[in-house]
Amino acid sequence: MPETMPDNRAWLGVLPVLLVVAFSAVIPLMTVVNYSVQDIFDVHTRLFVGFDWYRETLRDPRFLDALVRQLGFSAAVLALEVPLGILVARALPRDGRWVGVLLVLLAVPLLIPWNVVGTIWQLFARPDIGLLGRAVNELGIPFNYTAEPLHAWITLLMMDVWHWTSLVALLAFSGLTAIPGQCYQAAAMDGMSGVQVFRHVELPRLKSVLVIAVLLRLMDSFMIYTEPFVLTGGGPGNSTTFLSQYLTTMAVGQFDLGPAAAFSVLYFLVVLLLCWLFYTSVIAERGER
Amino acid sequence: MAEVRLDNLSFRYPGAREETLSGLSLDVRRGEAHALLGSSGAGKSTLLNLLSGLLPSAPGCIFFDGRDVGTMPPWPRRVTQVFQFPVLYEAMTVADNLAFPMRELPAATQRQRVVEIAERLSVTALLGRRPAALTLVEKQLVAIARALTRPDVSLVLLDEPLTAAEPAYKWRLRQTLKAVQRDLGATMIYVTHDQTEALTFADRVSVLHAGRILQTAAPRELLEEPAHEHVGYFVGSPGMNLLDGEIRGSDCLAGGHRIGQLKAASGPCRVGFRPEWATLTSGDGGDGLPVRITGMRTLGAEREHLLGLVMADLGSTSIITRQVLDGISTGPGRLRIRPERLVCFRDGWRIGADA
Repeated sequence: MPETMPDNRAWLGVLPVLLVVAFSAVIPLMTVVNYSVQDIFDVHTRLFVGFDWYRETLRDPRFLDALVRQLGFSAAVLALEVPLGILVARALPRDGRWVGVLLVLLAVPLLIPWNVVGTIWQLFARPDIGLLGRAVNELGIPFNYTAEPLHAWITLLMMDVWHWTSLVALLAFSGLTAIPGQCYQAAAMDGMSGVQVFRHVELPRLKSVLVIAVLLRLMDSFMIYTEPFVLTGGGPGNSTTFLSQYLTTMAVGQFDLGPAAAFSVLYFLVVLLLCWLFYTSVIAERGER
Repeated sequence: MAEVRLDNLSFRYPGAREETLSGLSLDVRRGEAHALLGSSGAGKSTLLNLLSGLLPSAPGCIFFDGRDVGTMPPWPRRVTQVFQFPVLYEAMTVADNLAFPMRELPAATQRQRVVEIAERLSVTALLGRRPAALTLVEKQLVAIARALTRPDVSLVLLDEPLTAAEPAYKWRLRQTLKAVQRDLGATMIYVTHDQTEALTFADRVSVLHAGRILQTAAPRELLEEPAHEHVGYFVGSPGMNLLDGEIRGSDCLAGGHRIGQLKAASGPCRVGFRPEWATLTSGDGGDGLPVRITGMRTLGAEREHLLGLVMADLGSTSIITRQVLDGISTGPGRLRIRPERLVCFRDGWRIGADA
């Protein structure tokens, strides 16, 4: 009776990966965790403070305000970019010689460095010399994103939509092209309207690419830093200061390593939590089928 | 269910130089199982799309129950289709999929009809599931059911519906399909390049080639009385043998030998005979056309005799017969064609037929 012996040596094969992960992710992350529970004065002087920094951060109105702004921004980004991306993808031709050209044109904003995007919009929206800002003002609508929080938000959102809708559109387009023509023929023979075709034929088959699109945009928008830094610098006031910007001010500007570390850990946990919530809700919906 | 009439139907894709379909005329009776048989590129899919209304046609060419539907969109034509690969709405349950084509009817009617059709196709157990949880064959069964639920359906189109099924299930699916067609008295047009499917499913078969219907006939007639050379070798397995021949007076000659009689104008022709209609014998003597036997393949046995195919060369042409293999060996031989079975073609078309 041959019996397979458990051979634990196989675990050795995992070792290289463990090492890589340890040095690339676990150790840096734990350094941050380590900082977050200590008060550091200089290289030799440190004091264990337990969860004090966490408590302080969670009670910090500036952190909470930034978090609320951040949630609002990400929600707005998703609400704008996902439907718009799907619309753009649906409007693209599925074949023909223009498809390639259009796809490349669509991808152009994705290739521009983030600080350049910020600069472009900073100039474009300026009320004195910017094409957009000037034109809007000439139309009789007062517009000044450097002074009005609402205008700053609108400009930021327009910039993000301009920068990232292409990503959603490209993902949605790849999903749409994977739908067999027969599905459309069947829908036409069933007398479906355009809305019904979208709801019953396209949306169910786009689901998996849209999950990826939403996750990518959610994580990315939650970590947005460069563009608002260049465009508004977080202002006017703190109206466009998001989490990462506040964090940078804290860690680099004020050199508060302990609170900044606690902030970072919380920040990380929030992103993780959001993604997990979204993903499990999608999976749960699928499992019930 | 409707009767379908095509009247000199032609179609050319915009920008195309040649017509994809030219001058098609066809009558499909109410409740008939009709098959369209043709190799790929013959225009089968185009014809299907014209029938369903996915492609618009010129008025005055397509009639359902005498009504011109040529320019009508698909939905009011009440045509349904089963596609090559099962098409179901992924987000709906099987029951909702079946009910969807009836969405304009009262809910009670829908429910009753869904149960009825599901039972007939034995998919009742699947009604609560989503398409993703079904096997390919189950999906196709549901797709067939979906094509039949609409009580006012005029015509059911089947576009090579068994392609996706494994060979083991093909037979079962085909039997189910045939039984349902008979029970419901559905007018069905079954498109395929597989002659076995066409010949076993259909009451009548139309052979489509290069955008034309070459012949519409019952399967048996198609085999025995092909109206066109192409029908001869496309239908039947292996297909009809074709030799260059000649009509002289009332004699039909091939390779300089008289092989039968035929009433037709004198001139060159092509002589066709099915593998079953001729026998080859080894040896140089006797009557018949001299040939060179090149090989044989055993297909089975009956009593003490081995049956199979015999291959032979006659000049530059190769022929095949289906016969008893006893006493056959490669080398010189003689070919005898049953003269009463002979069919001759000129310019592709049958000549000298009594009809």
